[in-house]
Amino acid sequence: MSRYRILPYGVLVAGCLFAIFPYYLTLLTAFKGPGQLFGTAPWEPGLPPSTAAFDRLFGSGFGGYLVNTVAVTVGITVGQLVFAVLAAYAFARLSFPGRDVLFWVYLSTLMVPPVVTMIPLYLMMQKLGLVDTWAGLILPTVLGTPYAIFLLRQFFRTIPADLEDAARIDGAGRVRTLLSIVLPLSKPILVTVTTLAVVANWNSFLWPLIITSSEDKRLLSVGIALFKSEIGVDYNAVMAGSLIALAPLLVLFIFFQRFIVRSVAVTGLK
Amino acid sequence: MLRPAPRRTRRVQRRQQTLAGYALLAPSMIGVLGFLLAPVLIVIVLSLFDWKLLSTPEFIGLANYRELLNDDDVWHSFLVTLYYVLICVPGTTILSLLLALLVNRKLRGMKYFRALLVIPWMATPVAMGLVWTWIFDPGRGALNQFLGLFGLDGPAWLSSPLLAMPSVAAVHIWQFAGYNMLFFLAGLQNIPASLREASSLDGASPVAHFFAVTLPLLRPTMLFVLITNVIGSFQAFDTIFVMTEGGPGDSTEVATYLIYDEAFRKFDFGYASTISVLLFAVILVVTISQFVYFERRTTYDFS
Repeated sequence: MSRYRILPYGVLVAGCLFAIFPYYLTLLTAFKGPGQLFGTAPWEPGLPPSTAAFDRLFGSGFGGYLVNTVAVTVGITVGQLVFAVLAAYAFARLSFPGRDVLFWVYLSTLMVPPVVTMIPLYLMMQKLGLVDTWAGLILPTVLGTPYAIFLLRQFFRTIPADLEDAARIDGAGRVRTLLSIVLPLSKPILVTVTTLAVVANWNSFLWPLIITSSEDKRLLSVGIALFKSEIGVDYNAVMAGSLIALAPLLVLFIFFQRFIVRSVAVTGLK
Repeated sequence: MLRPAPRRTRRVQRRQQTLAGYALLAPSMIGVLGFLLAPVLIVIVLSLFDWKLLSTPEFIGLANYRELLNDDDVWHSFLVTLYYVLICVPGTTILSLLLALLVNRKLRGMKYFRALLVIPWMATPVAMGLVWTWIFDPGRGALNQFLGLFGLDGPAWLSSPLLAMPSVAAVHIWQFAGYNMLFFLAGLQNIPASLREASSLDGASPVAHFFAVTLPLLRPTMLFVLITNVIGSFQAFDTIFVMTEGGPGDSTEVATYLIYDEAFRKFDFGYASTISVLLFAVILVVTISQFVYFERRTTYDFS
C-alpha cells in the first residue's frame, strides 16, 4: 500500500476512534464496581464486570424513566408523522384559497428557536391546566413540525399526479390514494423524517425539564441530568444511566445505518 | 387526466377541495400557529409586563428593556454566548469540511468510516455532557490520565474559568462535526470531476484547486452548515446544564441558561421574556446577515 493510502486511512481510523471513544468509556464505566473505578485506568475494563450501578439505578426508579421515554418518543413521533403527512399532502396536491400564504407562514416558523417559545408555552399550559401532565409534555410538538411538513411536501410534489388521477378515476378517495399510492412511493423521505423525529424526541430535554416535575412522568434525559443533585457525583451510576439513554439510538443506528446516513444528507439539499 | 367536468360540478369540486385542504391542515395549524407563531407574539407582549411569581402582571412599557441595557449579567451572558458560537461554528465547519474531503475518496470500507463519524450526532446531549464531564475529571478522568502517560499534569478543565468554555464547546464540535460532514460530502459529490481534470491540465495544485474551484462551489452547502450551526449554538443549553451549570462563576452562563434561570428558578417571566426577545433578535440579525453575505456571491448550478 502506498503512502498516499496509509495516511488517509490512519487519519480516518484516528477520527473514528475519537468519535466512538466516549461510548466505549460509558460502556466500561457502567460495568465497573466502585472499587474498580479507581483501581483501573479509565480505558481498561473492570474485571469481573459488575452490575452494581444498574441495580442501584433501577432501584431508584430508572426503569420507569426508560418506559416513559420510549412511550413519549413513540407517541410524539407517530403524531408528528401522521399530521405532517396530512399537511404536506394538502400543500402539495390540493388547491384552495390561502394555501400559499399558509405555506409561507409555516416556513417562517422554521426560524423560531425553542428558547423563545418556552416561556409562553409554559404559561399556555398553565392556563390549560396541563403543567406536569402527559398532555402538556407532548402537545406542543405532537401536531407536526414545519420542517417535516416542508420535507414531505417537497417530496410529494415530485410524484407524478397522473398516478393519483388514475386511481381516482377508479373511484379511490383522497385518503385511499394517499395511503395506497403516495405513501408507498415516499418511503425514503418517510425514513428521513422518522429518523429526525426519533432522535429529536428521544434527546429532548429543555421542555420535559420545564413542564414535568413529578417523578412518575420523568424522562431519561431529565433523570440523568438531575443525578448530580440527587445522587451526587457517582460516575458508575451516572455512566450506567447515560448508557441506558445512549444505547437505544445506537442500536437503531447499527441496524439502519445505511438509510440514516443517506437520509441525513437529503435534508441538506435545497 | 380527468375529463373536464361541467361548470356546476367544478364549483362543487373546488369547494370540496378547500374543505379537504383545511381539514387535512387543521391539526398542524394548531401546532404551527398556536404553539410556534403565537408564542412569538406572546413573548413580545410579556416583555412589556412586570410579572413575577404570584404577582398580577402589570404593564410597564419598555421598562424591562431599559433594565436590560444596564444589566451586566445580560451583557455578560450574551458575550459568553458569542464566545461559545465563535468557537463552535468555525471549529465544526472547518473540521467537517476536512472530514468530507477525507471521506470523499474512493477507499475500501469508506461507508463504514462515514457511518462511524456520524454516530455522535445521535447522542443524547445531556448523557454525553455527563460522559464528557467524566472524561474531563481532573483526577481520574480519561483525558488527564492520558496526559499523565506522557508525564503531563492536566488542568481541572471544567472548574477553570479560562478552560471551561472551550471544553464545553469541544463537546459540541465532537458531536456535530461528523453530521455536518455529510452535507459537505453531498456538496462535493455534486461537483463534476471534469473540473478537477481541467485544473490539473492547467497545472494547478490540489490546494490551489480547492481554494479557487471547490470552495466557491460549496457556497450553498457552506451557507446551510453555517446557518444551522449558528442558530443551534446560540441556543446551547443541555450540555452546559449538566457540565458546568453556567460556572465556574458565570464563565459559561450562556443566554439560554440565563433565560431558564430567570424564568423557572426566579419566576420572573416578564424579564426572562425580554431577554428571549433580545436573543431572538440577535439570532435573526446574524442569520439574515449570513444570507445577505452569501446572496451577493455568485452561485453555480450544474443540475
